[in-house]
Amino acid sequence: MQRVGLATVLVVACVAVAFPLVWMMLGSLKTPAESLHTPPVWWPAHPSAEAYRTVARVVSVGRSFRNSAIIAGVTTLGILVTSLMAGYVFAKYRFRGRNALFAAVVATMFLPPIVTLIPLYRMIGWLGVDGRLIGVILPNLANAFGIFLMRQFIKGVPDELIDAARLDGASELRIVFRVVAPTVMPAIAALTLFAFVYHWNSYLWPLTVLQGNTDQYPIVLSLGRLLSYTRSAQNTNQVMAGAALAVLPPLVLFVVLQRFFVRTLARTGLTG
Amino acid sequence: MPSRQARLDRHRGWTAAFLLPSVGLLAVFVVVPIGLTIWLSLHTWSTQTPFSSAVYRGLGNFRELLADGPVGRDFRQALRNTFVYAGLSIAAILPLSLAFGLFIHRVAIRGTGVLRALLFSTYMVPTIAVAIVWSKLYSPSEGPFNQILGWVGVSRQPWLSSPDTALRSLVLLNVWQQVGYFTVLVVAGLTQIPDSVYEAAALDGARGPRLLARITLPLLRRTLLFNVVIALINAIQVFEPVAALTQGGPVGSTNVLTYHIRRVGIERSQGGLGSAMAVTLLLSLVVVVSLVFAVNRRGYEA
Repeated sequence: MQRVGLATVLVVACVAVAFPLVWMMLGSLKTPAESLHTPPVWWPAHPSAEAYRTVARVVSVGRSFRNSAIIAGVTTLGILVTSLMAGYVFAKYRFRGRNALFAAVVATMFLPPIVTLIPLYRMIGWLGVDGRLIGVILPNLANAFGIFLMRQFIKGVPDELIDAARLDGASELRIVFRVVAPTVMPAIAALTLFAFVYHWNSYLWPLTVLQGNTDQYPIVLSLGRLLSYTRSAQNTNQVMAGAALAVLPPLVLFVVLQRFFVRTLARTGLTG
Repeated sequence: MPSRQARLDRHRGWTAAFLLPSVGLLAVFVVVPIGLTIWLSLHTWSTQTPFSSAVYRGLGNFRELLADGPVGRDFRQALRNTFVYAGLSIAAILPLSLAFGLFIHRVAIRGTGVLRALLFSTYMVPTIAVAIVWSKLYSPSEGPFNQILGWVGVSRQPWLSSPDTALRSLVLLNVWQQVGYFTVLVVAGLTQIPDSVYEAAALDGARGPRLLARITLPLLRRTLLFNVVIALINAIQVFEPVAALTQGGPVGSTNVLTYHIRRVGIERSQGGLGSAMAVTLLLSLVVVVSLVFAVNRRGYEA
């Protein structure tokens, strides 16, 4: 009896959590008439991919995806490299001021981005990279959370392994990327997931840097434009199709990498 | 064989080389801008001109934020909205994530993994997509929310179109998107409580709400404290739903600081004034976070 009650709670919770995304998928398959109907039509009578075709053209989906992939991909790669190197130093080297420097790095993790947005906008203009993807990418190539995560995991790598590599004549650079990195693959997978999804989804900074240069817009900004484009036309099915397209890549990455994230979150030590 | 320390010292040159990319980038793109924000907050400066064209005006920007004019009124409303939004978000996320976390961790039926994956997947979805989908869920006539409310006899809600309900509607959207992330943190915290603690408590006859209040919650204290701080910092960053759906309205009811500071400091190019707002936000945040920690310590000693 108790089991039935708990199972009911579980099903209700799953339905409630999934509902907005299911509504999005259903909405993207409706005809314009169905999406404007009052009371709302829940199930599209004649599911149609027409909205996807239209919206792919309106938001230049290929170009937007390419821009998103460049922003998220290059930023993630940069974060992985800089975090591995700094995490290795903070975990395995001893030097004066190490703890103070590490504390300062971690502190930047908690800073709301709006606090530095105005001077950063000007600095990007001064560097001559405003309106370009490189301007979006450049300030995000190092990340405090990434450094923190790598340090936590690299601390657990045995010193003997590193010393043995040194005796074999391996350079420190080789040790970081060929000896240490393979032993912290779960952390690398989790950081890849977090960084890629975060920068795929990021909105405020690209909007500020790109300033209306729509050729360089990632999919999230194109989607934001779509809303104003369709506001008068009320093409809800197109808006839903656009949202579904933007949601897909981070969700797929999440499904592929999700088994790493819980273990990793537990290991960061931030959680008790 | 040389001592460990000597072997480490041989690699001293690598310390700088390995730290330079990350620490250098963080210094240039985080520390320097913080300094510039503080410096600009004491100046009159148009965001479209070089920093060198800034004119010193002391605390004039801050006086304007506190004064009775429209600048001060708008800013104080945005500050209030931001903290109401953050407070309501935390008030909903904290108990919900705890309930979901306990459910996923303690209930031994199949399918809790599905719930956890569903919950966390909402956190992976771009906020702009969430905003768009929820604006349609909220739609007064064609939206399903009012239809569902109608089935259970609740009257239609104006959701985003009324100053009384718009901010709360944005909170609801935020709670839906973020509760899964905090649930995962709660589950991680729960798995670190050893089973022996529960066994000992069971021998003492503690179960149900008593077990929760006396054993589980105190041991989860650090997790919950961390969740409050992160939920607060996340809430301050709300931007997409405001920019895409409400533009701060109706009548300023959803004008929050990230949106307002960007509008003043970048769209209107009042860089000095916007920086003063950013500094005020940072100071308020430091005060609030310190208070949260102080209250926590007090409760711990009592």
